[in-house]
Amino acid sequence: MAKKAIEIKNLNFTYPDGTQALKDVSLDILEGEAVGIIGPNGAGKSTLLLHFNGILSGNNHIRIFDIPISDKTLPQIRRKVGLIFQDPNNQLFMPTVFDDVAFGPLTMGLSKDKVQTAVDEALGEVDLLNCRRRSSHHLSSGQKKRVALATVLSMNPEILVLDEPSSDLDPKHRRDLIVILKRLTATKIIATHDLDLVLEVCSRVVIIDEGKVVAIGDAREVFNNKQLLESHNLGVPSALCRIG
Amino acid sequence: MEHAFLDEYSHSDSFIHRLEPRIKIACFFLFVFYVAFQRSCNIYVYGAYAIVMMSLVRVSRIPLAFVFRRVVSVLPFIVMIALSIPFMKAGQEGATIALGSLKLSVSFEGIVLFVNIVIKACLSIIAMTLLMASTDFSQLLKAFEKLHVPGVLLMVLSFMYRYLFVIEDELMKMRLAKDSRTIGGSKWFHLKAQANMLGVLFIRAYERAEKVYLAMCARGYEGKMRTLYDAKVTLRDVLFCVVFFGVMTIIKLNG
Repeated sequence: MAKKAIEIKNLNFTYPDGTQALKDVSLDILEGEAVGIIGPNGAGKSTLLLHFNGILSGNNHIRIFDIPISDKTLPQIRRKVGLIFQDPNNQLFMPTVFDDVAFGPLTMGLSKDKVQTAVDEALGEVDLLNCRRRSSHHLSSGQKKRVALATVLSMNPEILVLDEPSSDLDPKHRRDLIVILKRLTATKIIATHDLDLVLEVCSRVVIIDEGKVVAIGDAREVFNNKQLLESHNLGVPSALCRIG
Repeated sequence: MEHAFLDEYSHSDSFIHRLEPRIKIACFFLFVFYVAFQRSCNIYVYGAYAIVMMSLVRVSRIPLAFVFRRVVSVLPFIVMIALSIPFMKAGQEGATIALGSLKLSVSFEGIVLFVNIVIKACLSIIAMTLLMASTDFSQLLKAFEKLHVPGVLLMVLSFMYRYLFVIEDELMKMRLAKDSRTIGGSKWFHLKAQANMLGVLFIRAYERAEKVYLAMCARGYEGKMRTLYDAKVTLRDVLFCVVFFGVMTIIKLNG
């Protein structure tokens, strides 16, 4: 059996304002697996993602490759887990695209040449090599989104956590994103409303509603359960609608 | 939404643009120091300095109008500060203005000093404008980092450069959203809405700062900003530096 990449046991999280965002979440994610996290608006998907690299910590029941998340292990964890935020304006904080993509590799202490190669590879992957000297402010929102992906790809993480990766992308670059995600061998966790993307990329699906895990299962199986999906404000991916 | 660049002309190409940023910073600051420490009000010396700077502006192909706009926008502050000098400086009395019982006298020495300061300020502003306009902002920050300018200061500037327009965008979008729902209503009502918008903007900016910090942490930020500086000093830069320094010194010695 494959190693556990992420192990979550009975995770609870309450925001300072009293909203309980996660209730008793337990979840195992295996190495190399692609897991889709779906659920209605405000279900707690993003909150859950923020736990994967220790930005939020409800309680200490999360282990990444068997390492518990604590202040001591944070640098180690963040090297392994690449998190991409939903709003690229928050993800891209350096004056130019190049500096942003180089930020991660530089904090990892890579040499100058290796940083250059990592940046070129990551930008090549998202088809934005010609934008390296530009300021992220002058990019379109789809381009920003792709640069945000590149900032994490350049760190070559073992676990890739993506929050709404396909929003704002035009159809062509959404396709490219799916191809990239399929090619990457890293463990992937994707929270999204783009059910077709989940169907194509992910082998397993987790449904979250009101902070609770309501279903975990094989992607096809879950997506064929129309009743379950509709009861949580979700639908059936359009690719499956046509068959049914 | 589109905005003007802070470093509008920094992406064009010229000899000045291609100079290594550290060399450029050194030369231009040297210029400011030379001008600032010029003692006598010798019109020829200032003329020579002006010719040096204007020919550099010419070489950089940055429009003169742009440079003058910058000078004009800063000048009022300088004049305001320096305006009291002609009245304060003791010396040969030139003119007296009587305001009732209050008598203000202007001295010749004071006027000379005033003109001196304004000329110095103008020349310095032109130099700094050229430096800013001919260098990519991020390169400028990196060069300052290499020159050991405190990191916190540079980070503040870097974030300002990145987020100033993001925040302006948010305000503009809010205003659009408000305008598209505005049908009538009193002036007072709209004024109140504007005030609320400012409050919302502040909270959003504050929350964004938190999220940006989290994004930095997520990518391994541990209190030190690291960037890759790839500009190299070439023979051309050294030559420029030597010639520039030589010309400046010749002017200084003859002044």
